[in-house]
Amino acid sequence: MSWTLRRRSLLAGSALAVAAAQQARAQSGAWPSQPIRLVVPFAPGGTTDLVARLLAAGLQERLGVSLVVENRAGAGATVGSEMVARAAPDGYTLVMSNIASHAISPAVYRGRIRYDAVTDFAHVALVVSNPTVWVANPRAGIRTLADAAARARSASGLDVATSGAGSSNHLMVVRMGQLVGRELNHIPFRGAGPAMQAVIAGQVPMMSDSLPSSVNHIRQGSVIAVAMASAQRHPAFPDVPTFREQGFDLASDSWFGLSAPAGTPPAVVERLNRETRAVLADPAIRARFAELGGTPGDMTAEGYGEFVRREVALWAPLVQASGATPD
Amino acid sequence: MDLITNLGHGFAVALTFNNLLFCLIGCVIGTAIGVLPGIGPVATISLLLPITFGQPATTAIIMLAGIYYGAQYGGSTTAILLNLPGEVSSVVTTLEGYKMARKGRAGAALSIAALGSFFAGTVATILVAASGPLLTQVALSFGPADYFSLMFLGLVISAVLAQGSVIKSIGMVALGVSLGMVGTDVQTGQQRFTFGIPELSDGVGFVSIAMGMFGIAEIILNLERPEARSVMSGKVGSLMMTREEFKRAVPAVLRGTVVGSLLGILPGGGAALSSFGSYMMERKISKGRHEFGTGAIEGVAGPESANNAASQTSFIPLLTLGIPANAVMALMVGALIIQGIQPGPRMVEAQPDLFWGLIASMWVGNLMLLVINLPMIGIWVKLLAVPYRHMYPSIMIFCAIGVYSLQNNVFDVYQTVVFGIFGYLCSKLRLEAAPMLIGFVLGPMMEEHLRRAMLLSRGDPMVFIERPISAVMLGIAAVALVAMLLPNIRKGKDSALQEGG
Amino acid sequence: MKLNTKDIISGAILIAIAVVGLWLNMDHNMGSARRMGPGYMPFLALAILGGLGALALFFGLFNGPDPLARWTSQEIIFLIGGAVAGTAAGLVAARMGGWPAAGWNSLGIGLFVGCLVPSIVKSWRPLFLISAAFSLFGLILEPLGLMAAIALSVILSAFADETHKPVGVVGLVAFLCVLCYAVFIYELDIRVPVWPQF
Repeated sequence: MSWTLRRRSLLAGSALAVAAAQQARAQSGAWPSQPIRLVVPFAPGGTTDLVARLLAAGLQERLGVSLVVENRAGAGATVGSEMVARAAPDGYTLVMSNIASHAISPAVYRGRIRYDAVTDFAHVALVVSNPTVWVANPRAGIRTLADAAARARSASGLDVATSGAGSSNHLMVVRMGQLVGRELNHIPFRGAGPAMQAVIAGQVPMMSDSLPSSVNHIRQGSVIAVAMASAQRHPAFPDVPTFREQGFDLASDSWFGLSAPAGTPPAVVERLNRETRAVLADPAIRARFAELGGTPGDMTAEGYGEFVRREVALWAPLVQASGATPD
Repeated sequence: MDLITNLGHGFAVALTFNNLLFCLIGCVIGTAIGVLPGIGPVATISLLLPITFGQPATTAIIMLAGIYYGAQYGGSTTAILLNLPGEVSSVVTTLEGYKMARKGRAGAALSIAALGSFFAGTVATILVAASGPLLTQVALSFGPADYFSLMFLGLVISAVLAQGSVIKSIGMVALGVSLGMVGTDVQTGQQRFTFGIPELSDGVGFVSIAMGMFGIAEIILNLERPEARSVMSGKVGSLMMTREEFKRAVPAVLRGTVVGSLLGILPGGGAALSSFGSYMMERKISKGRHEFGTGAIEGVAGPESANNAASQTSFIPLLTLGIPANAVMALMVGALIIQGIQPGPRMVEAQPDLFWGLIASMWVGNLMLLVINLPMIGIWVKLLAVPYRHMYPSIMIFCAIGVYSLQNNVFDVYQTVVFGIFGYLCSKLRLEAAPMLIGFVLGPMMEEHLRRAMLLSRGDPMVFIERPISAVMLGIAAVALVAMLLPNIRKGKDSALQEGG
Repeated sequence: MKLNTKDIISGAILIAIAVVGLWLNMDHNMGSARRMGPGYMPFLALAILGGLGALALFFGLFNGPDPLARWTSQEIIFLIGGAVAGTAAGLVAARMGGWPAAGWNSLGIGLFVGCLVPSIVKSWRPLFLISAAFSLFGLILEPLGLMAAIALSVILSAFADETHKPVGVVGLVAFLCVLCYAVFIYELDIRVPVWPQF
């Protein structure tokens, strides 16, 4: 069948290169000597999945073994993360740790989750962080956060769409409501796509989204970017002011990184950190990430571990305020 | 005559050797994964995504699109031959298709599925090319209230799928809706009916239910009646359609194409509704309606055409808005973004090669599928001649591997066992699985739209009547409900009276 | 009376599911019409389910007769025996620790034992032997690999059909192993252990 043909012709090049390098490694007996599993705790096709695949392609070249991306979605990204937390700490099982699995879900699923986001992992490196952006339908008459706040305080209130309940975008809506002094009418959707459609169609005037899923729509003018929830303005959108500039003390990026099970040899973690940062420094990868709207990370392994610890502490009280609980 | 020029340009792109080759590869892979139960296009496309990185964007998307509609074709093969529906649309195909196969008309069922799909695909492709942007406006004009009413209408008419008691089949719809409630609540993030099992937080798996209640239960029932099996493997029948069958199928194909093309435009649920919307229509108005339930060719021709038309027109929201209508489309957006292309309204001007090349390749792909599949029908039908004692362990193993590979989790395998036993019990009690599966798929969507509509209307239920689209759908649903229930209740009353007298 | 046993039992099952569901649903907040809680829709669906179950049961009293095949006492004993043995095996496995308690293995063991016991009765064999074979596949797939899982579950399922001959089963196992290796491992490259892992 022409199946065979496909694989042979398409993979031949990269497979040969990998195989050759693999052989060289196996002889020296050092890590890595066999394929590495990279668990993505989300369904295929999302931003995390795309970034993981880009990263895997880069790491594969540098490490000389193949990286196999494995999607294990479920329960706020905790199913895949739990699997890796329990895997052998030999450096052959890694996970794309992220704001959901390692900061928000631990608070949402308190007591139900069978891993500790900080102590059960050897955190390797921050891969990318994406600013949260608030966009509005061009005809909604909302150009600034002051407009949005005024709408929120009016009798009708302000509807804000998000990609789902319990996401960092949702928690932003809760925090904004606290700052405005009036609860915003949160309209959760099943993913960013349907939410964006509702905003474009004018059914919901505003949306709290992470930049990668709205970047195209902002560039095309089908929605306008009202505010960026980062500490600084985003280089790709220098005209869009931040929340702080508009007088609302809010700054939050969603992020994901690379983590291994706790107990992974420090030398392996160091090597992975070095190679990951090298991949992320590659101009081609930087350009891809920029297109997706994200900022590539550049942290030491200790730095990333400390970062995760801070995020866990930051989100727990917000989750409680939002009322998102498993039951 | 812009359209002709553009399409000409598109064909020039699609007919280059490289693009033709990858279109063919995509179609073959798609057909193969469609035939294998459990392994769907989402898993395959995500596996093949890295391979497309090295290809030009147009080639990559042509190949992925080939997998997508190839899988639709392949899926109907297993549904007809083995009563194994891999996705929602094939659930409907099993109803008449499998019955036809048992009557020795598997060849005819497969032929009309292929021919009808090709015709519908052609029409839908022209529709996408000619009025894609216009149709986008239709999709955008559907608000949450309208979606809710559409889903509700869908649920009401899904009771028509029933072959027996209407009350029991609406009961199964309600059971399906209830089962669909398992998992994380979209609105609050709360876990419902999950018993603390993380695997259930994304809901009960559709494939597990379908494989269990159709595939496994069917194996068990066949093993219980050896006489039915010998009929099954003995009668292969003529491969070709008779003139009579062809004549009956043509109007069904036409109607299915219209239904599918329209519903496919609506992201989320539109495509799922299309095939059984068409089934319902055929069952009510086609000439062969009295044969439904025993293997009516209209029940294969209509839904298969609708399903394929919908899978073509579901590209419209992706191409014109950059919004994916389903998981496969989301993967395609991912593939495009990785290639540095931004799907959306400006894609037509910015990437004419890609836009028109993809549209032309849809038609080319459909033609290829026809060419690949028609000769295969003979081989597929011969499979039925394999003795059942060799067949059933193979089906079982393929189901098991397919179910496992969904999430690489044995929990799904055990879930399938439970639904297999439940499916067996249901068929003994004449509780039908098809309405339950439709309820399972549509129920959660309906809940989502209902709650969203109420949030946006500030709790005012009038929104469902004030919006014209919604009002019309609710009206039709009400009429259908009364028309269905009245004779049933009257019948029940009559027999009750007789009993008393 | 023209009892329709099938409809009566169907109605009873639907009602039972609805009652259990409604009871579980008491944990969930109903919310208001404007902001419907997680319990709103399940309540509606389950209430309708219960209502339709009651209707089916009611009409089932008159629109018969449609009797079910009567179960023999042997069938009933082994069915109950299977349920008890399966539950016990699952619980014991969960307590044992190690492999039987890890992951979903205790569930798999429970299902497997529970299905194997009633399949001793010949008339239960198609139903429970196929289910047992399917559970067995899940149970041994990860520790022993795909090849062993195919072999063992095909052999077990073969007992469900008396026309099988040993040579034919061996041939079938070999054929399926080769086919599945070619399709799922070689071509589709799915992530599953192929050989036993030690």
